[in-house]
Amino acid sequence: MRMVMLLCMMVLGGYGLSGAHLQEIVVSGTVTDEQGEPIAGASISLKGNDRVTTTNESGTYSIRLPNGNGTLVFTYIGYGTQELAVAGRNTIDVQLEATNEALSEVVVVGYGTQTKASITGAVSTIGSEDLVRTPAVAATSALVGKVPGVTARATDSRPGNGANIQIRNLGNPLYVIDGVPYSTNDQTTAFGFNSGVSGQNVFNNLGLEDIESITVLKDASASVYGLRASNGVVLITTKKGRKGEHTSINVTGYYGMQNFTRFPRPANAGQYIRGLLESEQNFGNDPSLLYSPDQLAKWEAGTEKGYKSYDYFDEVMRPNVPQYYLSANASGGSERSNYYISLSHVNQDAIIKDFSFDRTNLQANINGNLAKGLTVGTQISARVEKRHNVGVPGLDDYFNPLLSVFSMWPTESPYANDNPNYINQTHNVNVNPATYKDDVTGWVDEWWRAMNVNLSAEYDFNFGLKAKGLYSYNFTNEDFDGFEYTYDAYLYDEETDTYYTQPGFGNQNPWREKHKRNVVSRFAQFQLSYDKQIGLHSISAVAAFERSDTENSYNAIHTVPSNNYVPIMSFAEQDYLADEWSIEARAGYIGRINYNFAQKYLLEVLGRYDGSYLYAPENRWGFFPGVSVGWRLSEEAFIKDRVGGWLNDFKLRASYGETGSEIGIGAFAYLAGYTYAGGNVNDGRSAVLDGAFYNGLRPRGIPITGLSWVTNRTQNVGFDFTVFSKLSGQFDLFERRRTGLPAARYDVLLPSEVGYTLPNENLNSDATRGVDGMVTWQDQVGNVRYSLGVNATLARLRSLSTYKPRFGNSYDQYRNSIEDRWTGVNNQGLATGVNWGYQVIGQFQSQEEIDSYTINVDGQGNRTLLPGDLKYKDVNGDGIINNLDETPIGYAEGAQPYFNYGINGSVSWKGITLTLDMVGAGMQTYFRDWELKYPFQNNGNLLRNVAEDHWHRVDPYDPNSQWVAGTYPALRKDLNSHVNYRRSDFWVTNVRYLRLKNLELAYNFPRTLIERVGISGLRVFANGTNLFSFDNVKGFEIDPEISSTNGLVYPQQKLYTFGFNLSL
Amino acid sequence: MNAMKRIYQLAILGVLALTFTSCTKEWLERTPKNIILEEQVWNDPKQITGLLANYYDRLPKDMGLNDPDHTSIDVNQERQAQWRRMADYDDAMWSGSTNEDARNNIVNYPFDRWRIWNYSLVRDINLALENIETYGVSLSAEQKAQFRAELRFLRAYNYFELVKRMGGVPLITTQLNYDYNGDPSYLQTPRAKEAEVYDFIASEVDAIKDQLGNDGSQTRANKYTALALKSRAMLYAGSLAKYNNAMGGPITTPGGEVGIPADRANGYFEQSLAASQEIINSGAYTLYQNNSNLGENFYEAVTTKAGNTEVIFAQDFLAPKKRHGFAYDNIPRSIREDNLSSSNIAPSLNLVERYEYLDGSSGELNIRTADGSDFIYYDELTDVFDNKDARLYGTVIYPGAPFKGVTLGMQAGVKVWDASSNSYRTVEGADLGATWGGDNYPDGDGGLLTYAGGPHRSIMEVTNTGFYLRKYVDSGAGTSTRGIGSDVWWVWFRLGEIYLNATEAALELGRDADAAGYLSTLRERAGFGENSVTAATITMERVRNERRVELAFEDHRVWDLKRWRIAHEVWNGNSNSPDAVVYALYPYRVVRPGDAARDGKYVFVKMVAPRFRAPRFFQMGNYYSSIDQSVINNNPKIVRNPFH
Repeated sequence: MRMVMLLCMMVLGGYGLSGAHLQEIVVSGTVTDEQGEPIAGASISLKGNDRVTTTNESGTYSIRLPNGNGTLVFTYIGYGTQELAVAGRNTIDVQLEATNEALSEVVVVGYGTQTKASITGAVSTIGSEDLVRTPAVAATSALVGKVPGVTARATDSRPGNGANIQIRNLGNPLYVIDGVPYSTNDQTTAFGFNSGVSGQNVFNNLGLEDIESITVLKDASASVYGLRASNGVVLITTKKGRKGEHTSINVTGYYGMQNFTRFPRPANAGQYIRGLLESEQNFGNDPSLLYSPDQLAKWEAGTEKGYKSYDYFDEVMRPNVPQYYLSANASGGSERSNYYISLSHVNQDAIIKDFSFDRTNLQANINGNLAKGLTVGTQISARVEKRHNVGVPGLDDYFNPLLSVFSMWPTESPYANDNPNYINQTHNVNVNPATYKDDVTGWVDEWWRAMNVNLSAEYDFNFGLKAKGLYSYNFTNEDFDGFEYTYDAYLYDEETDTYYTQPGFGNQNPWREKHKRNVVSRFAQFQLSYDKQIGLHSISAVAAFERSDTENSYNAIHTVPSNNYVPIMSFAEQDYLADEWSIEARAGYIGRINYNFAQKYLLEVLGRYDGSYLYAPENRWGFFPGVSVGWRLSEEAFIKDRVGGWLNDFKLRASYGETGSEIGIGAFAYLAGYTYAGGNVNDGRSAVLDGAFYNGLRPRGIPITGLSWVTNRTQNVGFDFTVFSKLSGQFDLFERRRTGLPAARYDVLLPSEVGYTLPNENLNSDATRGVDGMVTWQDQVGNVRYSLGVNATLARLRSLSTYKPRFGNSYDQYRNSIEDRWTGVNNQGLATGVNWGYQVIGQFQSQEEIDSYTINVDGQGNRTLLPGDLKYKDVNGDGIINNLDETPIGYAEGAQPYFNYGINGSVSWKGITLTLDMVGAGMQTYFRDWELKYPFQNNGNLLRNVAEDHWHRVDPYDPNSQWVAGTYPALRKDLNSHVNYRRSDFWVTNVRYLRLKNLELAYNFPRTLIERVGISGLRVFANGTNLFSFDNVKGFEIDPEISSTNGLVYPQQKLYTFGFNLSL
Repeated sequence: MNAMKRIYQLAILGVLALTFTSCTKEWLERTPKNIILEEQVWNDPKQITGLLANYYDRLPKDMGLNDPDHTSIDVNQERQAQWRRMADYDDAMWSGSTNEDARNNIVNYPFDRWRIWNYSLVRDINLALENIETYGVSLSAEQKAQFRAELRFLRAYNYFELVKRMGGVPLITTQLNYDYNGDPSYLQTPRAKEAEVYDFIASEVDAIKDQLGNDGSQTRANKYTALALKSRAMLYAGSLAKYNNAMGGPITTPGGEVGIPADRANGYFEQSLAASQEIINSGAYTLYQNNSNLGENFYEAVTTKAGNTEVIFAQDFLAPKKRHGFAYDNIPRSIREDNLSSSNIAPSLNLVERYEYLDGSSGELNIRTADGSDFIYYDELTDVFDNKDARLYGTVIYPGAPFKGVTLGMQAGVKVWDASSNSYRTVEGADLGATWGGDNYPDGDGGLLTYAGGPHRSIMEVTNTGFYLRKYVDSGAGTSTRGIGSDVWWVWFRLGEIYLNATEAALELGRDADAAGYLSTLRERAGFGENSVTAATITMERVRNERRVELAFEDHRVWDLKRWRIAHEVWNGNSNSPDAVVYALYPYRVVRPGDAARDGKYVFVKMVAPRFRAPRFFQMGNYYSSIDQSVINNNPKIVRNPFH
């Protein structure tokens, strides 16, 4: 590959130097844009002649002409053509005016940049101003709804978290920041923190203001990243100063207030007591054993002493919680150097008291010319990230506070006798919100400190060839420090007016743990690039070699401290030690050639030879080629002549590329031997023999040597267009076909008695298919400028073939086959969710109806049924409801929505701008379970909307009283195995939503006004995030994007912010 | 300038050359930090012991003290043991988190319930037996022989676990290597006859028992561990041969994979008895009798490690390195030291009533007058349990019994006499530790309504039956917290069982006097007099009851009922059955002012445990667990078990 490219360069270079003629005049000059910036690659031709040249990097050209007469034609993509008579001049400088800024926009692609017009792949971009419009703490959230092809779901929005984003629903993408790819290994520990440094983490924790642009490579254009690029690539470029620019200082800040978009509410005490009584009644028991009618009346009134109702949503959550941000940056440059330096800080408090997130970012990008042709640069980014949690028992500290809302009884007070000096020993004191304070239950501080340094050097050989070296070193450290205190809780003795405690009260389970994680990622790259414009032929080529590794080491120590006062850990109290280590290493050779003729016919050929540490040495390396073509029809004369007046741009694109995915294999799976259980002493495969503890050795089983990466073949066809200079868009149709998904060759039926199974081989295949696109309308009417854009993505995974599938019978096939079926249809193989269930055809309206019902719904002759219980469709008509009646009722649960769309609009008048972003999704499934399904789940409370709307008898003490209809079935406490609670479309919802993601009103002060005080720009804005949503889960009081089935997850925030941008 | 430029260019090209020629092969070749090679293992007794530790830990059981690390049922499933299963039969129910209430609503036991097919462990052992020869160059012949014997014990033990669940299984004793030629049919081995597997266990024990070493060890196999295995396995084989054929329709397959010929019964009983006698007569073990409080003594006999000469083989734990949360999960609610869990396994009244009175009368509790017209009124909660088999105290915490130095009161509510209706009004209340008085009960007397440890009808993590578990629950301070945890061991074999095995085998062989002798010895420890059972009074019914009360919660009952072929009769799915349904005993305080004989006394109400939903239902297809379809697909020579 490399040789071919060098050969190409030599041939083309040679051609470029030939063709000089004597007796001619030479005209030279500089072509610039409106700002006076040089334009490279503009073409200059002599009218009526085939003489053509192009400008070089500094925008200069020279052309030999037969004589001093004639007219020169200056053209450059996206700019108006100018014709100038030579008139004997030797120097002609030209300033071109942009006609279509979009097309001349330079886009960062893998290993270089291209103009938008010359791109042949399916590539989406987003610039700084569109990102920062969303006051996001994590960068992924800022991408949501703004880029075609990107799907998003914010399943857990605790402070610091972003959205889960995927490109075309292909899986977690590869993130490349300033040319450096980061790990795709993205996992969360049981504590709810990251377990390593993935590209997504690094991206999420960049300073949002520091991002210059983001490019999303969706098709074969990603092939240049080889083995890990199968799920698409997100390229992030940070800001740089410009050479020869005066220093500019920008300060941005905002202050905002957060509230939950939605969270289910608990029932009040009266509803709760009545529910308990109804449950007893529904079981045929005597409810008065529990509470007398008199007591019920008092609880429902809630006025008497001792009968107060507590709302634990209000006890746990706080309204209008702050989030604020301040950033300052300075950028500029001289003739030989440029710089961008920034410092920013973001703080996001949690709606749960004493929980918070904050982060400080530093970015310094500096480039300098050491000598002619030699540029060196550095990009330094550093961050300090801190999460503070209350040290709530249980690993993930956010869980219990949310659980409290439903686990606490509304009849019990957080404080004994409501006296805030005494924590009440409630029925489950573990979730008593009175304990959620640093000084009661303890604290967890989690710090991430990271430093990323890129060093680069570039040498320009001055004939189109450049050599570039890049080295990146990333050191990230996690420091976890947690201390869960013991505390006492009390009961109040009314008789004696005293408070008392006992040994089992409160929390007597102290917990102290420290973790340290060090992650070192190294990346080195050497790159040669060559650019040449020869007449109308434009060629650029890149060859590169790179290698990278990541080492993640983790230590944890844990003690059972004897007191709450001494945070220093002592060996005598230690009971746990963990020592873990993991590695990743990869290397690759990269080559790419772009060719275009007159910016009309475009071709890109690329390839990568890539290796991964995961595979056995003989299966390590693979070649991943890609090719794409583009045809700019709008540049063809026959089109231009007819519709050129309104068709500004029309480009057809097609691409094919191969990439790899490292699926279904763990590190060192190719090695035999034994795994030593050390490190984690609770490994569970060790034994105490003769009183001594022995670390177990685990036989590793059959080494996996035959497995290699999964091959992905991505095909894409699409077009870009601009008409009337106002309406532009892009549309793509794509398929990614994966072959070689790991599976065992099961027709080689190895008897189970051999004690091992055949190792997986690359056998199965699937495809993700879909469309994405966007249209944007931009116009100006009088003083009002406005734009409206719509983008949408539809992408879904389909399993194509598995290795020689075989089924016992047709039901087995219907239920379990994934042959040529959309995934998520059943629970096997590639599917990410189980979504089979019963179809509810109604609810029983009376006992008579149950008694006369001929279909056996509960398998027990319907004797467990009550009016209001669910009627399931007897799909197979056998008179009994069982799992044979289950049919597909939803999409993959918890997965990205298959259909995602965004609407972005803005209107501006003079200095006032109103912008709006809406995001919508469909084909996404949510299953209500646990707290959202079972009444009194976990011996807790009811949901408010269940309490208000369920089947019950008028009088909970009279088993013969009239039934009252409602939405939810009659209450039975602790009968989760009841037939009502089977997975059915009553509990499974295919979610649709359209939400107002962002609404921003901004005002730019007129320059004339502010320049007097030495300010060059001032903008103030008010922003609202997630103000409302139209969806079909409003009745469940949940945010439409969550996936946690019990609803006990931190939802997105409704956020109001007020801020400013100031430029000096 | 030109010179400078040349230098740059050369430097850059030099770097280029360097990067391209540097060895990328090594870059991708990384060394793991936790993988040990065969050579390192087989020449280092410490590492071999580490490997044995892994194998010991993988031995299957149905119960146990920890949670399983495999929760899914698959063909290679190794351990499904979990203490939670104690709640799945008739000795106890689930009183913990309502999320697991399905344990009280087992409409029927699924056919795959006791299934294992853990040939991965068999393979690992077979491989070890071969590798120790191949790689173990520096081990002495003696060391090798001992390790080999220990590996063979582990394999025999595992085959016993397989045969008692699945019937006859393929006997694989060497590593089966697939040659990747596309046709592995040469590896197919049919199921051995059920009897052949038992015979294999016997012959393995005979072959290795004198090479095992590990004298005195209670956690690694020695001669007596092997004999204990034989004692139990042969007893199982004998009763299978006898009782299966005594059924209306014996459960068999034509090839004998299931079903042992009746004429082999006595031979197996003889072997069992001989093995038991060898253990008993060796004097290597004695029944634990270190505490004059016989109830505490019985608790210690199983649960206490120090000075315990009764336990033959146990899965040991050692805090903080290897510990479990059994005490955390099962400590009585009112004395829990952590703020979650507790009380999960609630022993049933069914079990409690199986413990006889020391005079030899039936264990049924006297709670109603003879004519049934009124309660019997007790001054103290414990009075109703007076003079019972001390093993009741040692196994169960009943109302009024102490644990960890605290008396567990237990009271479900009050019975208030209503003279107008001439009956009691029952008040139970919605909360634990509640007072009958105050704002909530203005007509109350200010005394206790519901004890802090229940029982309660619906609150989770408090007993639903009126009893708490004592056996295996650690009595050490702090052991019921998650932070400290418990390291009580799990007993696989103890001398008490060997006595019962000897009793049963002798009785089956018609040696009634011998049988009565063994049983009486065991019963003496529980407080019964000398020769409380004689050749005249001993019956199989009695022996079976003894196994139930002596070995409760030690993973015996389901296997015993299966081999006696009465599981389908005991757990018959009938909601009126005294055995298939779990019963509870709720104590109440009587409020009857003016009636000194009754006021302030305690009465007891027997009821179906309120959280118990479906009677236990064991079907004929449960006697042998179903074999996974994929196992049969993989090896067509495997025949199905009956009823599947």
